[in-house]
Amino acid sequence: MSSVLRKQMFDHGPPSYAEVNRDVINALTTTTWRYWLTLGISASVALLFFIAPWIYQIIVGVGAAGMNRNAMWGTYLSNFIFWIGLSHSGTLLSAVLHITQSDWRKSIYRSAEAMTLFSLMTAALFVMVHVGRLWFVHWTFPVPNPMELWPNFRSPLMFDVMAILTYLTASSVFIYMGSLPDFAAVRDASKGLRRRIYAVLCFGWRGTAQEWHTLGWSYTFFAVLVIPLAVSVHSIVSWDFAMSTVPGLHQTIFAPYFVCGAIYSGTAGIVTVMWMLRRYMGFGRYIGKLHIDNLSKLLLVLSLIWTYINICELFTAWYADTSFENEAILYRIWEGPFWWLWWEMIAFCAFVPLLLFSRRIRQNWNLMLVISIVINIGMLTERFVIVASSLPRKFLPDVFGTYFPSLVEISITVGSFAVFTTLFLLFVKIFPAVSIYEVKETLAPLRKREASA
Amino acid sequence: MSKITDTLRQYRADGYFAEFDYHWTMAIDLDQCTGCGACVVACQAENNLPIVGEKRMRQGREMKWLRVERYWEGDYPDARLSFIPILCQQCDKAPCEIACPVFATYHNQDGLNAQVYNRCIGTRTCAVYCPYEVRFFNWFTYTWDEPLEQQLNPDVTVREKGVMEKCTFCVQRINRAKDLARDEGRRVADGEVQPACAQSCPTDAIVFGDRNDTDSAVSRKMRDPRAYEVLKELNTAPSVVYLKNAREPLHAADGGGHHDGANAQAAEPRAAAAEPRMVEAESAVT
Amino acid sequence: MTLLASFAHEDTAVGAAAALREKGVEDFELFSPIPLHHADAAVGLGKSPVRVFTLAGALLGAVGGFALCVWTATRFLLPTAGRPIIALPPYLLITYETTILLGVLATLLGFFVVGRLPAWKDRAYRPASNVDRFVIAVAGASAGQAEEILRASGAESIERENAS
Repeated sequence: MSSVLRKQMFDHGPPSYAEVNRDVINALTTTTWRYWLTLGISASVALLFFIAPWIYQIIVGVGAAGMNRNAMWGTYLSNFIFWIGLSHSGTLLSAVLHITQSDWRKSIYRSAEAMTLFSLMTAALFVMVHVGRLWFVHWTFPVPNPMELWPNFRSPLMFDVMAILTYLTASSVFIYMGSLPDFAAVRDASKGLRRRIYAVLCFGWRGTAQEWHTLGWSYTFFAVLVIPLAVSVHSIVSWDFAMSTVPGLHQTIFAPYFVCGAIYSGTAGIVTVMWMLRRYMGFGRYIGKLHIDNLSKLLLVLSLIWTYINICELFTAWYADTSFENEAILYRIWEGPFWWLWWEMIAFCAFVPLLLFSRRIRQNWNLMLVISIVINIGMLTERFVIVASSLPRKFLPDVFGTYFPSLVEISITVGSFAVFTTLFLLFVKIFPAVSIYEVKETLAPLRKREASA
Repeated sequence: MSKITDTLRQYRADGYFAEFDYHWTMAIDLDQCTGCGACVVACQAENNLPIVGEKRMRQGREMKWLRVERYWEGDYPDARLSFIPILCQQCDKAPCEIACPVFATYHNQDGLNAQVYNRCIGTRTCAVYCPYEVRFFNWFTYTWDEPLEQQLNPDVTVREKGVMEKCTFCVQRINRAKDLARDEGRRVADGEVQPACAQSCPTDAIVFGDRNDTDSAVSRKMRDPRAYEVLKELNTAPSVVYLKNAREPLHAADGGGHHDGANAQAAEPRAAAAEPRMVEAESAVT
Repeated sequence: MTLLASFAHEDTAVGAAAALREKGVEDFELFSPIPLHHADAAVGLGKSPVRVFTLAGALLGAVGGFALCVWTATRFLLPTAGRPIIALPPYLLITYETTILLGVLATLLGFFVVGRLPAWKDRAYRPASNVDRFVIAVAGASAGQAEEILRASGAESIERENAS
C-alpha cells in the first residue's frame, strides 16, 4: 500500500506513535457516567427482556413460545441463524484482509472480531433457549459417560455443535492473540490493580524480536485456519435446513446463500459498530473515510451476490415447476401471512444497497448507519421468513397451519440485542478496541519519511 | 482377520441390519375405513396421551399420535369425502432419525423407529424433518385431573415437558408378545399382537403383522394391487401401507383447483385432486 | 549486568542489531513497539518452528476427529435412517472441524513454547519500547564490547541495569 493511501486512512492526519497509545488506552481507562448509564440500561433490558422470559419459559415449558405442531421451529431458530450470520464478517474479514495484507483492516479488525465473538455467544444462547430440556443440553457434547452413550455424529445438529464450538474457540484465540501486545501497552500505561491484571493478561509480553516473529507466524496460521472454518460454519448451519425434506428448506443452494448472507449481514453489522465507536469512543481519528468506503463497496458486492442467489432460487423453482416447490415459494412471497416480510426483505437487502453505487452516500457515516441497520433488519426477517413460511406447510394439506411468534419470543428477540450490546460494552473496557501496534505498523513508513526529511 | 473385515462390512452396510428380526408393518385399507375415529380414541387411551384442552387445540398443539385426515372434493351437496388415518410410518429410511444429535430416535432390530423419551433434549429437529408430521412435542408438562390419572396405562410412561413423542406401533404390546413367545421358544404368531388402533377398528381396516413372514395377513395386503405408500417419492421407505381403489375425479373438468392438487394427491395418489380445506378444526372433531 | 540502548527509529535499531551480529555479539534482544519483519535476518530468525505445531495439531485433529466418530458410533450400535454405522460424509465433516480445532489449539501451544511465554517474572524491559522507542538489550559478558557498537549505530541513550 502506498503512503498516499496510508495517509488516507487517517482523516485528520497521521498521529504519532505516542498519540496512538494515548488515544486508545484513554478510551479504555476513562469511563464517563454516560458509559455506566448505557451499560446499566442495556444490562437491565437484557435481564428484563431476555433472562426473565427465558426463566419463565424454562419453568412452564417451550409452550410459552408461539410454536406449534406445524411449526416446531420458530423465531428462536431464525434468530440463532441471524446471530451466527452476524458473527461471520468479523473474524473472516479480518483473516482474509490479514492474508491479503490490506492495511486498512488494522484499525477496525479488533472490534469486528469482538462482534464475531459476542454474536456467536448470543447465537449459542439461542440454542439453549430453543431446546426443550435445557438441563440435558450437555448430551450434545462428546463427553465420556457411564452409559457409553455418545452424541450422534451423523446428525446435522452435531455438525453444528462441532462447527460452532470450533468457531468460538478459534475466534477467541484469534482475538486474544492479536491483543497480547496491546495488553502489554495497557499494563505499561497503568498502575495498581489494573497493571497487575494486564500483566497477567499479556503473559509477560515484552515485544522482543523473537516474540513478534512467533506471533506473526502463529497469527497467519490462525488466519489461514479460520477462513475455511468460517465458510464451513454457515454452510453447516444451512444444512440444518437443507438436509430436511421440507419444501422451501430442502435447497442445494442454501450453503452458498447462507454464507453470502452471513458475510453480508456481518459487514453491515461492522458498519454499525464502527459508527458507534467513532461517535461514543472517539475513534474518529482512526476509523475514517477509507474504511467506510471500503466496507460499503464490500456491502454492495455482497448485496449483488445475495440478490443473484435469490433470483436463482426463484428461477429454478419456477422453471422446474414442481408442485411442492411452487407452492412453498408462492406461499412465501404472495399467499402466506408473511408475504409482506418477504418483500420488505427484498426491498431492504436488494434495493436499498444499490444506493451504495454513489460515493457520496458511501462516505456518509450517518447514512451508512441507517443503511447498515436497514440491511440487518432485512437479514433478520429473511431468516424468519424462511422458517415461518416453510415449516407450517410441508406435505399433507390436512395439517397445514400457521405460525406467529408469541410475546415471549418477541421479547427474547429484542432482549438478545441488549445481551449483545452489554457484552460489547464490557469488551470496549477490557480490550483496546483499536489495535495499537497494528495502527502503528501502518504509520511506520510515514514515520520513516519524516525522519529522513 | 476375516472377522474384522466382516465387522467392518457390517458397519459400512446401509442401515446396519441385513434383515430385521421382525419387520412390523401396518396395512390400512382405506376402502374399509369409515373415518369413525375409534382408532384415535384407542390410541389416546393406550398410550397415555394428554388431553390438552380447547385452547391448546386451537394453538395447534394437540397430542394425537394417530389422526384421521379428511379430504373434501367438490362443494356441498355435490361433495365427496375421503379419509386417511395418518400415524408414524416407521420409515426404514426415516428423515427424523438423521436429525437427532443425541440418538433419542434410532432404528431398532424390529424395523421400528424408536423414540427414547428420557434421552430427548427437545431440539424438535426430528419433527421438522418428518414429512408426515406425526411427531408431537410436549410443550408443557401435562397433567390428568382426578380421577383421570387412574386410567393411565401402567405399561407406558408419561412424558414431561420438552420431550418429543410419537406412535410406537404400541411397542409395549409387541414386547410383551415377544417375551411370551421367547419363553415358549417360538416366534410371535401372526395376529398375536395388535396395536390399540388395529384392535379397536370396527371394520378391520387396519391390519398389523410381520412383513418377514410372507404368509402373514399384512404381507398378503401388501401384495394387493391397491397398495401404495404415502409420500413414497421422498424415499422414506415407510412401514405403513395404504390400500385404495382408484376413483374417477368427482368433476374431471375442474380438478386441480387452487392448491394444484399435488399435495392432496400425495396423500392419496390415485384419488382425484382434492381441494384441501383448513381442516384443523375438523380434525379436532374426528 | 544488562545494557539497554534505546533508538528513536526502527531503521537505526535494526542497523544496530545487524552491526552487533556482524561483530559476533549474538546474546542480545531487540524490543520494538511494532513487528519488524525486515529485522528477522538481523536478529537471526528464519522460518518459525510454530508451523510444525500447526501441522502436527491439524494431523492429530484429522485422525482424532475421524477416530472419535468411528469409536463412539461403535460403542453403542444405533442405526439411523438407513445410513451405515460408519458413514463417511458426516464423519468427514466432523473431521474437517476437528482438524481446524486442534490446528488452532496446537498453534496456540506452539506460540507459547516458541515465544517462551507466559513469563511473568521480571526481565530486562523498557516500557517506552511499547510506545515509540526501539530498545536493544545486551546481556552478560559482551556488554562492554557492545556499548561502542551501539553508540556508533546511533543510540539515543544507553543505560545499565543490574540483573536482579
